[in-house]
Amino acid sequence: MDLSLNDTQQLIQDSARDFVRGSCSREALLEIDRKPQLFMQGIWPQMAELGWTGMAIPETYGGTGNCATDVAVLFEELGAGPVPGPLFSSAVLCARILLDSATEEAKRAWLPLIASGERVFALALTEAQYGWSSQGVKLAARGEREGFVLNGTKVFVHDAERATDLIVVGRIEGGEGISLFRVDAKTPGVTVRPLAGFIAGMSEVVFDNAHVRGADLIGQGGAAADEIERALIAVTPVLCAYKVGGCRAVFDLSLNYARERTQFGQVIGRFQRVQDHLIHMVNFLDSARWTTYEALWKLDSGMDAASSVHVAKSVSSESYMRACDYAHEVHAGIGVMREYGLTLHTRMSRSLYHCLGAPKTHRQRLEKVLGLVNG
Amino acid sequence: MNFGIEDSAEQGAFRDEVRAFLATAVPDNLEHAIDPVDMSYEQYQIRRALGRKLGAKGWLYPSMPVEYGGGDLSAEKVVILHDELSRVGLALPPYYDSGGKMAAPTILVWGTDEHKKRFLPPICRGEVRTWQLLSEPSAGSDLAGVKTTAVRDGDVYRVNGQKIFVGSSHGADYSWTIVVTDPKGERHKNLSWLMIPMNLPGITVQPMDLLATGGEAGSGSGVKNAVFFDDVRVPADHLVGGENNGWKVATTHLEVEHGGTGRLADRRVIYDFIEMCRDRRDGYAICDDAGARAEIVDLYIEAEITRLFALRNHWLAHTGQPRSYEGAQYSLRRKLSGLDMAEKMLRIAGPCVLTKDEKWGPLKGAIEYFQRDAITALHPGATTDIQKVVISRRLGIGGREKEKAGTLR
Repeated sequence: MDLSLNDTQQLIQDSARDFVRGSCSREALLEIDRKPQLFMQGIWPQMAELGWTGMAIPETYGGTGNCATDVAVLFEELGAGPVPGPLFSSAVLCARILLDSATEEAKRAWLPLIASGERVFALALTEAQYGWSSQGVKLAARGEREGFVLNGTKVFVHDAERATDLIVVGRIEGGEGISLFRVDAKTPGVTVRPLAGFIAGMSEVVFDNAHVRGADLIGQGGAAADEIERALIAVTPVLCAYKVGGCRAVFDLSLNYARERTQFGQVIGRFQRVQDHLIHMVNFLDSARWTTYEALWKLDSGMDAASSVHVAKSVSSESYMRACDYAHEVHAGIGVMREYGLTLHTRMSRSLYHCLGAPKTHRQRLEKVLGLVNG
Repeated sequence: MNFGIEDSAEQGAFRDEVRAFLATAVPDNLEHAIDPVDMSYEQYQIRRALGRKLGAKGWLYPSMPVEYGGGDLSAEKVVILHDELSRVGLALPPYYDSGGKMAAPTILVWGTDEHKKRFLPPICRGEVRTWQLLSEPSAGSDLAGVKTTAVRDGDVYRVNGQKIFVGSSHGADYSWTIVVTDPKGERHKNLSWLMIPMNLPGITVQPMDLLATGGEAGSGSGVKNAVFFDDVRVPADHLVGGENNGWKVATTHLEVEHGGTGRLADRRVIYDFIEMCRDRRDGYAICDDAGARAEIVDLYIEAEITRLFALRNHWLAHTGQPRSYEGAQYSLRRKLSGLDMAEKMLRIAGPCVLTKDEKWGPLKGAIEYFQRDAITALHPGATTDIQKVVISRRLGIGGREKEKAGTLR
């Protein structure tokens, strides 16, 4: 038993922390928020340079083959920014799906380009009947001589506006099951429309007679449902770690504020009702942290991690959102001024709440793991 | 990170050794009382005998130094010991002994060599049982406001006063007691700790009638008592940690009591309850209902978080890592989640959770006991509000210097 980070992880943490403080400071992130194009121009090349785009990809395919906990340590720091996507979508989630599902030829074609940061992948799975499983997938792929024609609408697709390539989940007409397609985002008939409002980094993606080659069918047609499920289990704790970082950041922000802000002639942290908010936050932070890192340990040790992953995702999604709520209680007015930076987290905590399955979804899966329902 | 406890052949062999030991050391006539109040004197003696056998191996207090009768075992082996005892429905120690659990680590930090040599080995070997005496009728959360006095008179302290919520059934050999040694002194600078032999004249023990005892599975505390001191003459060299230095000594005691070293006795009752909800009788199971399933999953998640906080604290303390708010955080979580779980069980399973009736009470009355105990457990080792105060001070929320965690060895 050793609950500390190892030397490699310590190094990853240090360099990620430096990076977030420097290139992704509050000012920088607010600037990116106003001019989103700055991210891929300025930040993304640095992340690739640091090797982060290849961490979750094996050496054979141009990455560094780090374990899930290593990757999670990085993502905890990015979550503290919060540094927006598409690193998770591309280099963790889509990389994992390619590793699990693609032919050797396709892996050799695409994974090195993801690892170098030259190509950016996003997963187009969810549709109007929202949910992170293949059940709600209706997008149709009609076979033609050279390949397939895709028609349908994906929505709430994370990081699509920054992607060069999409992994599209669809159904081949006349066939059984779920299939995956790699689609160049510039393919005629593919339209990415970012969604406006409180939401962060999500788009609608419409496929209107978009043609893809036969070689762009990833893996065995019709067999992707289980592969997606497996890949989601494997990458979910990394996203959880991002939320741990988010919890930590809003807790630190609120603690410092409570220690400094004066009202009624004393710092507000002297008031026990304010203290209660901070106590809720540190409880959320630590609940998210330890459930997440235990799930990562199980994954890295090759153990059955399903129950821990479901617990971690439920806890971290709720923790991040509620930690932000309490942060707003502590900060009151200043907390909603965009320039203060808290709202970057507030928005992210909501936008990632459902990503990879909402707490409710993971709780329902836990019901199965605990033997409360059959199947 | 590594959450595993069985990574080496040595640890696996240790588990085998413990299991084999328990197979012969735990007698067939040991019975498990769901409510510790129901434990007979004979059964208590059986547990004491088992405690001495564990003590002889250094396993009764496995984190204490070998030179004082402990085991000085690694963090992993301590977890394995707790695991194996829990498997046979027991905890470490197998009977209530707050002196072993809280006084011993405190004496280790604050006692003189002479104190350590005299008081620790009998505790660690299971030869004596010690209660802790802190609360008084007018001093609960405000521990520093205790009024029991110990006035120096030659080579003794004369002790007068009353303590409540003390210990358990079937008596103790020592009482580890916080007293006022300077009645006119400044608050926090007037306290001391005495290790009082319970056979001295002038001590009266009177049972209290409580809803439950707020103890732990496997080593629940049984009947709580009021203890009266009527001019009890305690040898002066039984004062540990220095006269009027008692508040500092208390920081170590409270660090342990607040959960700073984690508690490894798991709440098997939660897992048994979940199992019960899966049971199908006459074609019906509690978990057939979607609302019940959702709450059962919440119970499970809560149990996981509490387990992980305890494991983290055990690791922090055992490996000498810096600690801050974690002890009180765990204690707060345990208390609040206990109450919440009890309420969920009531909602999920209905009024059967309130009875220990042989026909209608589930799990031989264990759930009924949990319902009472979860409420009672809100106060021992400080209320939830006090835990919040401790967390706040450790985090320095109020802008003051961050309070340090109590010293452990």
